[in-house]
Amino acid sequence: MRDSGKKRILVIEDDTHIAEGLRLNLSFKGYDVKISPDGVSGIRDWKEWKPELIVLDIMLPGIDGLTVLRNIRLEDERLPILIVSARGEIEDRIKGLSWGVDDYLAKPFNLDEFLLRVERLLTRSSWGHEEGASAGVPAESIYKFGKNVIDFENFTAVCSCGEVTMTEQEVKLLKLFIANRGKALSRSELLEMGWGYTGATPTRTVDNFIVRFRKYFEDNPHEPVFFRSLRSVGYIFDHDS
Amino acid sequence: MNRFRWFYHPIFIFVFSIVALAASLFLYIYWYIEVSAGLQAVVAKHHLDPDQFFEAQTWVVILVLSILVGIILIGVFLIFIYNQRTLQLYQTQRNFINSFTHELKTPVTSLRLYLDTFAKYELSREDQIKYIEFMIQDVDRLLNNITRIMNLAKLESRSYRNEFMESDLVQTVQRFCKANSGLFRNCEISIHNPAGTPFPYRINPTLFDIFLMNILTNAVRYNASDVPRVDIRFLPEKKRLKVQFEDNGIGIEKSEVKKIFRKFYRPGPANDLTARGSGLGLYMVQQIAKIHKGEVSAQSEGTGKGSVITLTLPLRLQPAG
Repeated sequence: MRDSGKKRILVIEDDTHIAEGLRLNLSFKGYDVKISPDGVSGIRDWKEWKPELIVLDIMLPGIDGLTVLRNIRLEDERLPILIVSARGEIEDRIKGLSWGVDDYLAKPFNLDEFLLRVERLLTRSSWGHEEGASAGVPAESIYKFGKNVIDFENFTAVCSCGEVTMTEQEVKLLKLFIANRGKALSRSELLEMGWGYTGATPTRTVDNFIVRFRKYFEDNPHEPVFFRSLRSVGYIFDHDS
Repeated sequence: MNRFRWFYHPIFIFVFSIVALAASLFLYIYWYIEVSAGLQAVVAKHHLDPDQFFEAQTWVVILVLSILVGIILIGVFLIFIYNQRTLQLYQTQRNFINSFTHELKTPVTSLRLYLDTFAKYELSREDQIKYIEFMIQDVDRLLNNITRIMNLAKLESRSYRNEFMESDLVQTVQRFCKANSGLFRNCEISIHNPAGTPFPYRINPTLFDIFLMNILTNAVRYNASDVPRVDIRFLPEKKRLKVQFEDNGIGIEKSEVKKIFRKFYRPGPANDLTARGSGLGLYMVQQIAKIHKGEVSAQSEGTGKGSVITLTLPLRLQPAG
């Protein structure tokens, strides 16, 4: 295999020993491997480096693996993702599978089994590409909450104030909120996942977006129902049904 | 199936029992009055002496019934509280098992991975040494985890009674920091003793080391600063000695400040999957402080603003001469 032909595998794993062991073995097999030590950098690396397969741990500092999975699945339904987790109980596997993981391996695992599963996943996804379909198929193009209907494909939304056209960044942030529905997100988490900023960038950018979202989607922007603020935490998006 | 889950919910059962009890009390009294009214009518009809039968008794009966129902009510309430506590404990214990399994499985996974790799590939001597070093560290991690559980068991069985010795706290802390400098390589730990005097206490060195280790690793682990910093201050007061451990870490949510010392407690929702500790570190810190007749407390201005753990000990009188 030529260098350029090497398949890229992103390993999102916080334990340096396991990550290094996986990197070593995957590069022996001729893959190009990158390691992200936590969820936030994992999402960033997925966006910037565009790997062909992701090996994902569930228990990660900051943003957990299942949230990373949901974030990726919002934008890319096809990318093969293999979860390698110490949580091997049936409920955990089902949770992972229901959110669109391709394969699930419980720690500790057999090296050959791991390598074969990786190989198999990559082979299968290469068939999909040959059929001519491009990667990056959005999961759902229509999303409804309250009186609002959002069309992700056309970047439009029908809401109480009529139809609005959204910017790319607004759509991105909205997807992020939907992926983390019912879960509090801090400003820095939103910045890092939505914009790819690193560190604690002191900026009110997120707040400005929230103001806009509330204007679009809330019946009364001063008493928000969907995009609520949590004092000293950040924001939470949720709705009924 | 899920639709009927509320039926088994303890709060529902509790409220339902109270309503049932109140209703039965009402019915007892109602029927009693009804029946005695009927009897009274019979008595009046047959011209018997009414005083002989009830008058005085009616209120006694109502009183006795009320007291009995009251006792049952208290019983139900206590059982409800115990039940809630048991559920809570069960939940925290499950949390603990989950996170502890994670802590055990991680080094085992790493060991297994490298052993498989060694069996599969011929590695260069240099790589071999690097990965053997990894494996040794993994074994140490496993041993540490096992020691922690053993220490906890020891702490709870109180089998350390006679292992106390006289030593100066300032020196003990200094010695500890020096001995473990490898663990806190990228951190700044400074010890301040403005009074300049030694503070001799009877301490259990093993336990005190665990105490310091837990506080310092927390300060460093839950820290997002470039250089984690811990300031240890010895502040004698009139009757007490305060030892403060101030860090520049991620801080503690106001609502969590008191809870963090509970056994198996970990901040955040129970099903949170982000990897965190076992919920034992600060519990052990508190237990060890108690064994040394002291107390620990935590203060924090909120998340992102660092935290202070304070150990308060009764000030010992300096030995005369």
